[in-house]
Amino acid sequence: MKKVTIQALMVVLAIPVMLPFLWMFSTSLKPLPEVNQYPPVWISENMTLDPYADMFSFLPFATYTLNSLFVAFLATALTLVFGGLAGFALSRFRFRGKEVLLMIFLLSQMLPGASVIIPLFQLLRLLGLYDSLLGLSLVHTSILLPFVIWLLYGFFNTVPREVEDAALIDGCSPIGALRRVILPLILPGLGATALFAFLGSWNEFFFALLLTTSDSVRTIPVGIGLFVGEYQDVWNQMSAAAVLFSVPPLVLFMMMRKTFVKGLSAGAIR
Amino acid sequence: MRRSTPYLLLLPALVLTTLILAFPLVQNIVNSLQDLSLMDDSGDWIGLGNYVEIFDDDLFWLSLRNTLVYAVAGTILSLAIGLGFAMLLNMKVGSIGSTVELLYTLPWVVSPVVAGFAWKWLLNDHFGIINHWLVQSGLIAEEITWLGSPETALGSVIAARVWQFYPFAMVMFLAGLQSVPPVQYEAADVDGATTWQRFRYVTLPNLAAVTSILLPLGIIWSFNDFNMVFVMTRGGPINASMVLPVLVREYAFVEFDLGRSSALSIVIFALLIALSTVYLVIISRRRVA
Repeated sequence: MKKVTIQALMVVLAIPVMLPFLWMFSTSLKPLPEVNQYPPVWISENMTLDPYADMFSFLPFATYTLNSLFVAFLATALTLVFGGLAGFALSRFRFRGKEVLLMIFLLSQMLPGASVIIPLFQLLRLLGLYDSLLGLSLVHTSILLPFVIWLLYGFFNTVPREVEDAALIDGCSPIGALRRVILPLILPGLGATALFAFLGSWNEFFFALLLTTSDSVRTIPVGIGLFVGEYQDVWNQMSAAAVLFSVPPLVLFMMMRKTFVKGLSAGAIR
Repeated sequence: MRRSTPYLLLLPALVLTTLILAFPLVQNIVNSLQDLSLMDDSGDWIGLGNYVEIFDDDLFWLSLRNTLVYAVAGTILSLAIGLGFAMLLNMKVGSIGSTVELLYTLPWVVSPVVAGFAWKWLLNDHFGIINHWLVQSGLIAEEITWLGSPETALGSVIAARVWQFYPFAMVMFLAGLQSVPPVQYEAADVDGATTWQRFRYVTLPNLAAVTSILLPLGIIWSFNDFNMVFVMTRGGPINASMVLPVLVREYAFVEFDLGRSSALSIVIFALLIALSTVYLVIISRRRVA
């Protein structure tokens, strides 16, 4: 095939891929009468940013946003700290049960959310953490942890033992060597892992839906997912909300794409 | 260094995952043997009653069928498209390739809720752009109610799922393609291999390892997927697109029957173990042969 043919094919195939995004974006810029108008148009003559302002009064999206940020940041921080310690231990120590643990972490990726949700609901209610931001953050942390441990385990393995031994000989404690020598070396990998954790929590819907119930604790995906069915007519405001909600993941991903993709595929192929 | 150090380092992660992943799994078994309602936690022991109810429920069998169709068809289509796109991107055509690769990856980055929402609006029977195009071009005479009719609902949800999942396969396949030693293609060329033979005897064998991860992982993840169906159809119309994870929620939070819901989640777990076992057996047989 000629180069030009391939390039043309690439661009043509990008159309169906981008279609849902474009249609959603186009809708988010339309006044309501034109949303429910036949035939539909791509670019409204009365293009407006009003849906982006109106959605905040239509649903408490400001609160949802703060909640989403809180949960995603807390879950990311906890996942990195707990996962980092665990990944370090698995990569640097020989101990009984290590292989089994790694296998269990891998298999827990396949655990259906549906298989833990009811007892989790009961447990959180018992602990007073049902319908709370802290409870949801902890749940997100633990569902992200197994994969993050595997990722970090892989990154720690890329640092030669000698580097660490040198630090130990110079009088560092194992944790000191981790902090001063190893972590700086795997910084790109840490970044990719943090991005993975942040996106995982930010986008998460199932647990956020079933473990919260009041508006003051809901996250954005719950706001969107729950009201998709109920407010069918305000597609422009819902589109605006979905567009705004997607901006942080898209921007973060574009910034860190190379490390992220490399880290993930290296983990899977290894 | 003391012997306990690694265990101490692992402790926080272990405590949390035990509490939130392992404990619920065990508690679910206890739940599933009780007549437990959402309103009242003190259930009576009813043995396998909940399981009997589930296996007597036509909706369970319909959901099981739908879940299998959703998981298998969705994953195979995602892998096929992912492989196609990866091969396209693997042809070196200059800087445009990197931009296109980014565009092709984007559906994977947004929340499943956004994906479901975007597709639901795209497929809207009267105001969606798809029906408009199809009617305009004369391909269909009347608007199709994609999500509102039992014949098309599940297929539409699968389309959205494929759109969101193929990029993962694409990224993995691309990494796999880029790790094929060029020598192998050169050898094939020396032997006068056709394009098809190059694909069949060099590319595919090199992707076997990636595929053997992607296929089961994709099927298992899709089997467990709640989001797309819930956002797009909630399992409707008249349960035509109901899948097992959504049914777990139905039992618990619509019918308020925690016991039956727990039993169903155990059934799902058992089915997954069965699926994984079948897969492991196939893989190990192939290795031996």
